[in-house]
Amino acid sequence: MSPTRLSISSAFLFLIFVIQESVISRVHLPITGFSLYLAVLICLIALEDRNGAIVMGFIGGLVLDLSPTSQSPFGQWALIFTIIGYLVSSNLESVGDFTSQPITFVLFIAAGSGFALLTYLVIGSALGEESGSLNHNLVVVLGNFIWTLLFTPLFLPLIRRVRELTLTSRERV
Amino acid sequence: MARGGSNHSRLLLVILLVSSLLLITLDLRGVSLISGSRSVTQTVLSPIQKATSDIFAPVGRFMSDVKNFGKTKAEIQDLRTANTRLKNQAVLNADIKGQLAELKKVLDLAGRGSFKVVSARVIGRGSASTFSQTVTLDAGTSSGIRKNMTVISENGLVGVVKDATINSSIVLLMSDPTFRIGVRVARSQSVGVLMGEGTNSYTVELLDPSGSLEVGDSLISIGSDNNRPYIPGLPVGVVTKVDHTTTLLTQSATVKAYTNLNDLGIVSVVVQAPTAAPNKPINPTPNPTVTVFVTPTPAPSVSNTASPSLSPSPTSSVKKAKK
Repeated sequence: MSPTRLSISSAFLFLIFVIQESVISRVHLPITGFSLYLAVLICLIALEDRNGAIVMGFIGGLVLDLSPTSQSPFGQWALIFTIIGYLVSSNLESVGDFTSQPITFVLFIAAGSGFALLTYLVIGSALGEESGSLNHNLVVVLGNFIWTLLFTPLFLPLIRRVRELTLTSRERV
Repeated sequence: MARGGSNHSRLLLVILLVSSLLLITLDLRGVSLISGSRSVTQTVLSPIQKATSDIFAPVGRFMSDVKNFGKTKAEIQDLRTANTRLKNQAVLNADIKGQLAELKKVLDLAGRGSFKVVSARVIGRGSASTFSQTVTLDAGTSSGIRKNMTVISENGLVGVVKDATINSSIVLLMSDPTFRIGVRVARSQSVGVLMGEGTNSYTVELLDPSGSLEVGDSLISIGSDNNRPYIPGLPVGVVTKVDHTTTLLTQSATVKAYTNLNDLGIVSVVVQAPTAAPNKPINPTPNPTVTVFVTPTPAPSVSNTASPSLSPSPTSSVKKAKK
């Protein structure tokens, strides 16, 4: 992953973060809100190689840690997405690349978002955070999974296109 | 080669994991650079949030209306029933009006302990990427808003200011799971703690084992030292269900908040606490001071002395002024 592409990807993630915090969070969807940022980050992680996925996870997590509404300690999301980046990249090698199969990929992104939220809860509990009732949190995770499943097909081609634009000619090969 | 690549990945993973843990440790130890990064982000985001608030507010409201459609219908039915009942009660109210006039005088006395507020518009809601329940306001430190100030709506408590930047502030809503506030039961004066649960319902636990809770009991905030973060006497919620579990030492209940946190448009931040809280004696309003100016009338044998008098003599011109 070249430094240039890393910078462009970080800027792109920050843009998505701004959209999430300014626009998406204002829309009151039934059950719970939809996190565009989580979906995009999981998507980008899955499209990277092993090192790229780990670095992308760390940077994406740091951007999410900047969220002023977050109550968790700074670095918690970076920790979570570094782990997710590693898990995704190492398992992609054994499971095989499914990113070219749209339905499987969308399901993976939705499940990945849910897994990220669950990991956030678990690590948050380990750090002594109060997260409310388990039932409510499970509903939030489930709601996020459903909305991600419904909305991801709408923007997935765009994310792929943007990523392809950032690839160097060497990386394209 | 592959082995070398794998080792490189593991090294990278370890470095980044250690970096994350270091950041968490620094943040938990209160290093200002880390804590300040979120304030900087909020400063950057607030103008964008303000701009997008106007554009996307109708969309947000539409989705909120769709979400609450069934509930609204039921509410209309409830309101119609309540309206009929109130019409019948209105007949009896004539007698009460006389008592109300006297009560107002008492309320005026308490009203002197009123607080100064800054009204602000809600321009953002907490991110769906976290489990915290917050809203962002379009007013910040430039309007006098500071951390740990109470936020209220027309119906009662909303939450507390968690963080404030120059032009925006973040409010931790009372529905957040970390939210705690001391409350007093209006009927029995029992004291308890109200806890947010991340949903529309709340739990109150009494501190006194002999205290009692009943359905319909109103809960009022107790207040904090120096009135921060909470001012006393705010309506918080009403008890909807009492938990009769005998294993608990004290009674607990489910509470419905007076404020609908899903429909916040304008809220007020209490920037100046009450000058005389209910736990301090409020002195009665002093009667208007009467200042009397006496202009001596030229009379041959009388040397006037300017002495204050409530019933001046006909030879004096009197001006009264309220101090």
